[in-house]
Amino acid sequence: MLAAAAMLCAAFAAAQAPVPMSYVLIIAGVGGAPEYTQEFYQEGMRMANAAHTKYGVPDSAIVFLAENPARDPQHIRGLSTRAGVQKAFAHIAATAKPGDLVFVLLIGHGSAQSEQSRFNLPGPDMTAADFARLLKPLRAQRVAFVNAASASADFVPALSAKNRAIITATSSVHERNETRFAAPFVDAYAGDGADADKDGRVSLLEAFTYARREVMRDYHAGNELQTEHAMLDDNGDGKGTGTPGARTPDGGLSSRLFLGGGAAATTVAASHDPRVAALVQHKDSLEAKIDALRRRKASMDSTAYEHAMEALLLDLATTNQAIKPDSGGVP
Amino acid sequence: MRRAPRLAALLMLCASGAWSCARAQDDAGALHHAQAAYQTGQYDAAIKEFTSLSRRPNASVASRRGLLRALLEVGRLDEAERAARTLVTAPDGVQLQGSLGRILLVRGQLDAAQRAFTAAVRGGASDSLTASVELGVIHWMRGQRSAARPIFEHFIDVYNARHAQLTAAELTAVGIACRYLGAEQPELFKDAIKAFDEAIARDSTALEPRLQEADLFLAKHNDADAQTAIAAVLSRNPSQPRALLALAHRLANDGQPGVMATLRQALAVNPRLTSAQTFLAQLLLDTEDYPGAIGAAAKALAVDSASSDALAMVAAAHWLQGDSAGFDSARQRALARNPHDGEFSAIMGRVMARNRLYAQATDFARQGVARDSTSWDAYGVLGLNLLRTGRIGEGRRDLSRAFAGDPYDVQIKNTLDLLDTFSQYTEVRVPHFVFMIEKKDADVIALYLRDLARAAYDSLAARYGYQLTDAVRVEMYRSHADFSVRTMGLPGIGALGVSFGNVLAMDSPFGRPVGDFNWGSTFWHELAHAFTLGLSDHRVPRWFSEGLSVFEERRARPGWGERVTPDFLAALKGGALEPVSRLNDGFTRPRYPQQVIHSYYEASLVCELIARDHGTQALVSMLRAYRDGLTAPQVFARVLHTTPDAFDKTFATYLQQRFGERLGIVDALRLRGDSTDAITAERAGDGPFADRMRRAVAAFTAGRRDEAFTLFQQARAMFPEYTAGKSAYWYLSQLDEQRGDTAAAIAALKTIVRTNDTQYDAHLELAALLQKTGDTASAAQALEGAMYISPGSADVHKQLAGLYATLGNWPGAVRERRAVLALAPVDRAEALYQLALAQFHGGDVAGARRSVFLSLEQAPNFDRAQALLLQLQHGGPPPAGRVP
Repeated sequence: MLAAAAMLCAAFAAAQAPVPMSYVLIIAGVGGAPEYTQEFYQEGMRMANAAHTKYGVPDSAIVFLAENPARDPQHIRGLSTRAGVQKAFAHIAATAKPGDLVFVLLIGHGSAQSEQSRFNLPGPDMTAADFARLLKPLRAQRVAFVNAASASADFVPALSAKNRAIITATSSVHERNETRFAAPFVDAYAGDGADADKDGRVSLLEAFTYARREVMRDYHAGNELQTEHAMLDDNGDGKGTGTPGARTPDGGLSSRLFLGGGAAATTVAASHDPRVAALVQHKDSLEAKIDALRRRKASMDSTAYEHAMEALLLDLATTNQAIKPDSGGVP
Repeated sequence: MRRAPRLAALLMLCASGAWSCARAQDDAGALHHAQAAYQTGQYDAAIKEFTSLSRRPNASVASRRGLLRALLEVGRLDEAERAARTLVTAPDGVQLQGSLGRILLVRGQLDAAQRAFTAAVRGGASDSLTASVELGVIHWMRGQRSAARPIFEHFIDVYNARHAQLTAAELTAVGIACRYLGAEQPELFKDAIKAFDEAIARDSTALEPRLQEADLFLAKHNDADAQTAIAAVLSRNPSQPRALLALAHRLANDGQPGVMATLRQALAVNPRLTSAQTFLAQLLLDTEDYPGAIGAAAKALAVDSASSDALAMVAAAHWLQGDSAGFDSARQRALARNPHDGEFSAIMGRVMARNRLYAQATDFARQGVARDSTSWDAYGVLGLNLLRTGRIGEGRRDLSRAFAGDPYDVQIKNTLDLLDTFSQYTEVRVPHFVFMIEKKDADVIALYLRDLARAAYDSLAARYGYQLTDAVRVEMYRSHADFSVRTMGLPGIGALGVSFGNVLAMDSPFGRPVGDFNWGSTFWHELAHAFTLGLSDHRVPRWFSEGLSVFEERRARPGWGERVTPDFLAALKGGALEPVSRLNDGFTRPRYPQQVIHSYYEASLVCELIARDHGTQALVSMLRAYRDGLTAPQVFARVLHTTPDAFDKTFATYLQQRFGERLGIVDALRLRGDSTDAITAERAGDGPFADRMRRAVAAFTAGRRDEAFTLFQQARAMFPEYTAGKSAYWYLSQLDEQRGDTAAAIAALKTIVRTNDTQYDAHLELAALLQKTGDTASAAQALEGAMYISPGSADVHKQLAGLYATLGNWPGAVRERRAVLALAPVDRAEALYQLALAQFHGGDVAGARRSVFLSLEQAPNFDRAQALLLQLQHGGPPPAGRVP
């Protein structure tokens, strides 16, 4: 009884803790041709809109830099030059609190000179090392850095660090063809197809998995040879993988990074009703058991596993149903 | 004693004096001229000049050898032998013994040739080294390898000791020796190429080493390198008969037009080139012209009565006609020279395979390896044909043996590499079939293939009154190159599928860009071959089997199978189509690039005509007649009560009746070239119809819609059967839609999908319009058709699942939801939930429970799945209003 009460208090405390903020910086690089300029602008806008309207990131925390701010001064906050990028990073570094999420998305062309990845901007390009310098002040924040450009692979070793998830559209600086990664990556946040675990939110890992698979499908459908292979690194070892997972060396951090703080839709708001609180506690316990059971799956007899899992899933479904009427947290 | 002859020679040289020097200069110029004429293919001029030079007193050895070589190269063998026999009697006649030997060797007089070569070697002739290698060749031809081997091995010593001093001809001899030794030490094939390359470097005008290279590369199925060597020879001597023959082989390997024309060019230069006559016989065998094949082989045998290659053609012709006595006689003659010759059986095996007799091909190849356990060629034929009969393990074993003995055969290497990829495939077994599909595609393809295969089998078995004896193995390749290697050991095949009888191989639905082909109709086509081959005991002629397969495609589903095209009409108008009696030529020896495609359609029209005039049962009766061993004239007489010639006329009339009024809309196809095997064609499909379409498209592109609409209507009226590509129907559907005339747009799109099996977008567009008008059943039907063009779009599967759900067709909805799942969606939990819902509606509660369990296992808090789970747990009807 005492232990349960203590846990309940902890749950309330957690519920009352300040929700981490998200800062979103979108940088659309130089297009080089009107169709690319337009495409980069559109993808950047879609991402900015999704961050605001779908995930509740305040406008003040979203910075969209592009080639031509005059075309949409309301949304494009500045020119995506080296100076503009530096200024935006400095602003975030000055504003973000420890634990906040800094989400950076580069959309554009990339190149590689002397095996060093560059992101092509109006004016001088920026290298991975340039971005690494800009990220240095963000040691207390969690960073999601996504370079959707060609020849971007070099950003992984250059930017890899603790509490950072780095995604690149390519696995090699030699993958220099125009990439397709940006559009499905933005789709993952703007659309409804990436929430694989149905918890009502999209983690960075889910967005990556979705985009990678859609890119593969696109090449596949066109019967083309795939010229880009996205990768993700979030354990700070400087090595990316194309197949991260929540329980693999890379993917753990990304599975916990959500835009807008990311309270799960199924997470119930704090309730002072002891009946609901008990149900929530039971639900948490069931989720933990399900997770533990899944981890043991490979070592278990399949019938025993399924039997146990079905019992837990039924219990969870019943519990969720019981929570709904009183909690108001209907998914 | 030893110095006297030298002194005498010196005295003679002095005595001849000054006149001799001047004469020598003239002779040198004339000789150079003659040699240049020879090397550039001006054989008559060369022979004339060599003859003149060789008649002069003190004629040089080079001029006399040049004469004999030129006569030999154009096949004037009697003259060559007569001249050689005279020339060898001269005081320095030993220098001509090698030339005599080569003439005799070509004529198959091995004993006499051996004596001549021996004389050249023992007499110290300046070409004794090249004569020596020929001695080795003669031993080899007789199967006396232990005698041949030391001769060939000596060349390695010669090369190592003094390769810098060797002439181009001698280096070529080294290469030849290495090639023979390569049969037992395959690494020496590389040395052979090295020696040939050095010979070319030594004398850039030398053609023989290039010819040898071409021959070796062709034997290894390395057509690209062979072509380089062939081109190098023909650029210097466009009339070189052996180079022309090699080119004909290369073209045949690649399925390109011009094979017969090139071969005839070779035979025009040298009608007694036995290898060319033998190749001609092979080509004629491929078109079931057995008397012609025997005639061509006879011409080769008139030169060399013991030519095992030519005798193999005679044997094959007899065998294919069921003449076992003729076959036995030819075989005995072929093996008389070398009773341990495995190559005879390997050739027989290849001929059988080309005539789709794969089991017989393995039988012959087995005899070959039994006769000569080092015949890697025979092992290769055996392995390839075991694979074609579905015996994968045994095939791999024998191909591995072939590869171990000769790792340079590209066909074998490619096939073994392909077999290594089989671990990426899975086998799906259903009644009558085993599907081999790449693992990642298997789930989605099998969903459709299973039902299609059952329908096709039942339909064809009923039509032909025949059951296949074994399960049909269907291999689907995601890579077209892999399919090509499976078919012929090499990349580059143009076909979409192939039937070896009960083994079918084809491009996977994911193996080509969407809209490139219809995998469903391709499968049906190939399965029809399995029936027609099986029922006829593999004796059905190629044209008839292909015609029946296209005919069956058209009978299977609306829109499937070849249809008439402008270029077909152009070919008909230009008289380029083969008559039925020679329709095999249209497949095996196309005269223009589109002829193979035209031949498929033409053959299907023949079947339509027979079905119209004699009933479909006549088609079955013809197959049975072929099975009974009847020839084409006998089959036509028995079943159609006519002759092939008379039927040709009937068919020509039918074509005119059917397409006569359309011929005005195209320009006639004109074949360019001066032989029956023209290489190029002009203006295929151009003419008034194409002009009208061009104008219409230009108006459409420029936004002049009314003008475009009128022009497209006119084009459609000109050729209403034509719906391929961006046809008038397609544009009219777009314009109709823009004009708000949905009914007209639907009608246009319906015409397309009813007459064309690759128009993916038309299917989707039609479905969308039909759905908009509330015709759910027809919309579902349109999408169902699209799945046989491409099953790769999850969105289309979801759409079709929804339509089936609306129609209450739950098995259909379940299949479509399974397809979504098989395409590995990121949102797997949703896909499983939707599947569960469809299963629940369809009454499959256990399946639904299983699917929802899997969904929740992935996403435990998935609220809709939880609700469904609880509903399944507590019982009750499926949720109302939750149709997926």
